[in-house]
Amino acid sequence: MLLVAAALWFSPLMALILTAIKTPTDFGQHGALAIPHSFTLQNFIDGWNIGQFGTAFQNSGLITLVKVPIGVVLAALLSFSLAKLKLPLRRVITFTMLMGLTIPIFIAVVPIFTMLRSVGLTNSLWGLLPPYLAFGLPFETLVLTSFFGSVPDEIIEAARIDGAGELTVFFRIMVPLSLPALTTVAILDAVATWNELLIALILLSSPEHRTVPLALLNFQGQFTTNFSGLSAGILIAIVPILVVYALLQKWIVSGLTAGAVKG
Amino acid sequence: MAQASTVDVRPATVSRRSRRHRANSVALAFAAPALIVYAAFLLYPAIYSIRISFTSWDGLSPVMKYVGLSNYVKMFKDPVMKTAVKNNVIWALVTIFAPMVIGFALALAVNSKVYLRPFIRTIFYMPAVLPLVGVGTIWNWLFQPSGVINQLLALIGLGSLQNAWLGDSTTAIWAITIPACWVGTGFPMLLYLAALQGIPSDYYESARVDGASWWQQLRYITVPSLSAAHAIILALSLINAAKVFDLVFAMTNGGPGNATQVMGTWMYFNVFQSYNAGYGTAIAVVITIVAVLVGIPYVRAQAKAIR
Repeated sequence: MLLVAAALWFSPLMALILTAIKTPTDFGQHGALAIPHSFTLQNFIDGWNIGQFGTAFQNSGLITLVKVPIGVVLAALLSFSLAKLKLPLRRVITFTMLMGLTIPIFIAVVPIFTMLRSVGLTNSLWGLLPPYLAFGLPFETLVLTSFFGSVPDEIIEAARIDGAGELTVFFRIMVPLSLPALTTVAILDAVATWNELLIALILLSSPEHRTVPLALLNFQGQFTTNFSGLSAGILIAIVPILVVYALLQKWIVSGLTAGAVKG
Repeated sequence: MAQASTVDVRPATVSRRSRRHRANSVALAFAAPALIVYAAFLLYPAIYSIRISFTSWDGLSPVMKYVGLSNYVKMFKDPVMKTAVKNNVIWALVTIFAPMVIGFALALAVNSKVYLRPFIRTIFYMPAVLPLVGVGTIWNWLFQPSGVINQLLALIGLGSLQNAWLGDSTTAIWAITIPACWVGTGFPMLLYLAALQGIPSDYYESARVDGASWWQQLRYITVPSLSAAHAIILALSLINAAKVFDLVFAMTNGGPGNATQVMGTWMYFNVFQSYNAGYGTAIAVVITIVAVLVGIPYVRAQAKAIR
């Protein structure tokens, strides 16, 4: 039963793969589900060229590589302050920050657009950075504050008695002890950044700035009849994230359930 | 002695106070960068949007004309808004119920089969890491009139049920909720699985000693023990149902003829396609109120857990 369910769950991707490796004629004659009578990689070459996925991977990769480290560092500094430094108004700040988990991006898009337009950052990859950072902080802070809170105060006190400043405590004790949590947060954040649609859709207009979701949208619009080319393009677009998932899923799964169960 | 202690205490209090003052500024210095970014690019725009929602602004011109509550009044008369709200409710019902039930069943089934667990987790959570635009594109393709789903129906002799799933305004919104469930089942499964590990096995042992059936054990031990997980899944599903955008945008763009508009896409359409920034922003305010109201119990629980 479980295996049947798993096969069913995987079948959309299976149909995609089976179609992508067929010639369009084979697909036309035998349909998507038949075992391929032909084998071709031409669909992937077409999909790659027409979808301009090279540019999209570059853009998404760049914004992810810049956004994630900055976001995690900002959130870690705040979380350290909330968990271990007795920040004034701690409760209010925690609650306000966590409210960000529910606030939809819709409420901020119009002012964000006008703010970025006034400084000439619309239609620039870097315009994505400020809103991505702001909307990433609530989740990062939730996981990190929870983890930092579980680091025993005795270790920190001992370091302080030895004369360590708070920066030393942060970098020499909190960061090394929290590497698993930091890694998990970084990975989940990277997936979310790579996949984000709405802000990218609003800010970026020219083809050379497209991120992966925008490239996919545009690609879909161009392939209304060539199903083999379309399925190959979709596969190209999702393979990087699937590879990342396959390699790092241990971290993803632990991060999703760690904070949630005890809450 | 008494005198000596008063003399001693005063400087101590002063220095303790100044030490506390210093500690506060250190704490603030650590917190400031994140708080500034959060305030400038989330809180400030959100509050500014409330102001825009009381104007007839087009999103471009330098002046904003205040029109009071008329954007909000307009929503009640807007037939598309009515469709959108209805679609958000359908979305919420389907994407809460199906993923919760399927996720729970999967977690139960795989809980006793340790060797299958990693494999099942991988397969069922996988759709959740894909970009939703990619998911939409895949299912758009599956739902095509000559696509895989209709081919499959013909193959099993149900050819008469073939339909242009996304082109038919009665089926389109339901069709889009199917990929939403495909994406949304992995998370409840993971949560339930993690929570199942936390139920002490002697509960079941003593229930069995007392002669409780499998169903009674499920009904009186398993389901109630997972109440924290139920609450989290329910809260997150409700928040996400208010926020839905990507799948609808990628699959039907609100069509055919606005039949699949949800509040998010209708907001986008008003602001960025028909230049009614005032009205669109008012819709965004409504979405936010809904999301925040359904999210507050969850936020409070999380805030308490990390305190």
